[in-house]
Amino acid sequence: MMQLVLKFASCTRAAGLRVSTSEVLDCLDQLQHVNPVDEEEFKILMRANFAKSRRDQAKFDYLYDLFFHEMQTDLDFKSESMGQYLQEILKMLGENLPQDQESQAVLDLMAGNPMAYLELLQQIQSDDNAAPGIKGSNLGQLAKRLQIMLGFNDVRELIAQFLEGRTPSPGVTETIDYQIRQQLRAYFDERLEVARELLTSESRPNNESLKTSSSHDKHLAQLGDKPFVSLNRKEVEEMREIINHLVAKLKDTIGRRYARKTSGILDVKKTLRQSSKYQGVPVELVYKTKQPKKGKIVTICDVSGSVWSAARFMLNLLYSVSERFNGVRSFIFVNNLAEVSDTFDKYEINQAIENVLRNHEVEFQARTDYGAMLRHFRREYMDILNKKTTLIIIGDGRSNYSNPEADILDQMRDKCRRVIWLNPEAEVFWYSGDSEMRTYERYCHEFRQVQNLNQLMEFIKDLVL
Amino acid sequence: MQFESVEDVRIRLEEADYICSKLAATVVFLAGATNKPILVEGPAGVGKTELAKAVSRCLGRDMIRLQCYEGLDEAKALYEWEYAKQLLYTQMVKDKIYDVIEKSTSLTEAVDIIAAQEDAFFSERFIQPRPLLSAIMSKEPVVLLVDEVDKSDPEFEAFLLEILSDFQVTIPELGTMKAVAIPFVFLTSNNYRDMSDALKRRCIHLYIDYPERELEARIVRLKQPGIDETLVYQLVDAIREIRNLDLKKKPCISETLDWAQSLMVLQVGELSQDIIRETLSVITKYRSDTEKVIKYMEDMSKKAGIQ
Repeated sequence: MMQLVLKFASCTRAAGLRVSTSEVLDCLDQLQHVNPVDEEEFKILMRANFAKSRRDQAKFDYLYDLFFHEMQTDLDFKSESMGQYLQEILKMLGENLPQDQESQAVLDLMAGNPMAYLELLQQIQSDDNAAPGIKGSNLGQLAKRLQIMLGFNDVRELIAQFLEGRTPSPGVTETIDYQIRQQLRAYFDERLEVARELLTSESRPNNESLKTSSSHDKHLAQLGDKPFVSLNRKEVEEMREIINHLVAKLKDTIGRRYARKTSGILDVKKTLRQSSKYQGVPVELVYKTKQPKKGKIVTICDVSGSVWSAARFMLNLLYSVSERFNGVRSFIFVNNLAEVSDTFDKYEINQAIENVLRNHEVEFQARTDYGAMLRHFRREYMDILNKKTTLIIIGDGRSNYSNPEADILDQMRDKCRRVIWLNPEAEVFWYSGDSEMRTYERYCHEFRQVQNLNQLMEFIKDLVL
Repeated sequence: MQFESVEDVRIRLEEADYICSKLAATVVFLAGATNKPILVEGPAGVGKTELAKAVSRCLGRDMIRLQCYEGLDEAKALYEWEYAKQLLYTQMVKDKIYDVIEKSTSLTEAVDIIAAQEDAFFSERFIQPRPLLSAIMSKEPVVLLVDEVDKSDPEFEAFLLEILSDFQVTIPELGTMKAVAIPFVFLTSNNYRDMSDALKRRCIHLYIDYPERELEARIVRLKQPGIDETLVYQLVDAIREIRNLDLKKKPCISETLDWAQSLMVLQVGELSQDIIRETLSVITKYRSDTEKVIKYMEDMSKKAGIQ
């Protein structure tokens, strides 16, 4: 049993779940308490220990099925001889397949050990240096996948040849029964099918706690519902005031935390030390000063053509936010990131936005590439995210069909407190064309359409820092 | 008192008025058998907190509850010193000190005498235990519920680690306090943010989803005895359908129960469109949600009309 659990644990690790030794130990410990023949209990036990968030559960279920059901066919072999032939075929495959990692992984899978194969898939998915040619494309990934697919064909062909060679016909000495041949063929077909499915279906984490909101309330009937795109100059000014007002309100709520910081806890040690001045009478009370929490905000804003009209407005928001809070880091991007926190600090709002939109680090003519942005972020700024950071990404998720690199977003999610995505595009268009919203959606805590002032107000009200 | 088997958990929880799935029963049993904390996740209102309460009822243990929120700190969660008494104590010491060192002849001797005195200033006498410490210090085993742990700060999460893995608390002035009796710990989370790996590693994970149709019907029957059998299923089916809509707040079990109760009060024997419309405010908590449900109902009846 222990061997089995250990093997399964390494499989889940290979597939990207985080399973530590202590979890395996717990699992073995708990196994003594359950009914060993009740599979449901067994599965519940494994899941409770191996998949510790809702997002991982779907993946776990899949792996569990794969490992304990699909891969365990050798338990019900019809006959001894089949097992023997199976070994023979595997040996033959081992001799004839190329010695590279891909083929070996496929071979292992055929033998009922999916670990190497899962590892390979995980590697393909998260490998960002794989692309040989154009940067930011996912061609590298696709090419690798294709290579594995071709590997399947080799395997299939070799097996067919092998079985052909054992078919009773004049001149053949070694033969295999028709029935066993059928079984062998079915066995390998099944495994190859599993392998193919693993390769083509992408794992999708369950993200049910995702908060999406669509507002129906009407605050400012006229201005509030007008899309940012169709605002005239005067209205923009008007709106700026409203935003300022909103952000100020937000700041007030946070300020209350500062006001409370000295109330409550008495620092006895310091009070006593002070009291020695007054012959031991505690005249001056010293309170523990609590460092008020600073919620950090990191904003990343798309300023490409597709969101151009809204971008100006979003920058407005960014500016107001960074003006009011400490420790705001603002970034803009088209295909690579540029930090604009400094510009926001130095200049007054209109000037700052003008400067930002003339930023030389950003090629405004380039094609939007979210994948490149995420890679850039990981390379240079990953360390600014911590468990207190709220990451706000503003953009439409239209990435011109380049590699979305959702994997990096997942890593970023792991590092920060909340990931919020604001999309200035109408919800009806989210999932069409080159929009990667469906991909990114799974890695966010919250997802919002922010197309007009009402929605923006709602967002600011809900924003917890 | 411990649980004997998974089945035993299920039966005893049921006796404590909590109907649960086999999943929950198994996890509770395992946690009980191996003294592990349970991290319960799930949408709001599926009975995460209730599970902890039910376990405390059927094990006959007291429940200590710690509600987490942003800004919760150790003074509110672990312990606090009783300052007033401490200050009084220092005054007392000042008065008494002369009596104590009266007999001493040299300064060294006086210092030695003072050092030999009991130091009550930082001692258990002046400590005021908060939920976590009282759970650890309790002579009888208790059920400790750390509710909505995802709302707390990362610093607080770090605090919990020591308690969860070793069932002990370290107080800088006193040393380490080990648990007298190991508490049964529940942590609940609404998934507002992801918990750290360190915390997850110390717990067994349980995800409670909205209940199956049968299970929910049984819950309604249990909590609203005497409810009409056809009404139960109509109610549960309606709720399940409403849950499938894209709502701001999905109705949970407590809303099903509230609804059942209001229907009982109104003496309704069968659901109809009008009745749903009139009582909808019990299950939907936003105006936009109410509108959506009504629209959905109208669409459905139109479709039914065409057929």
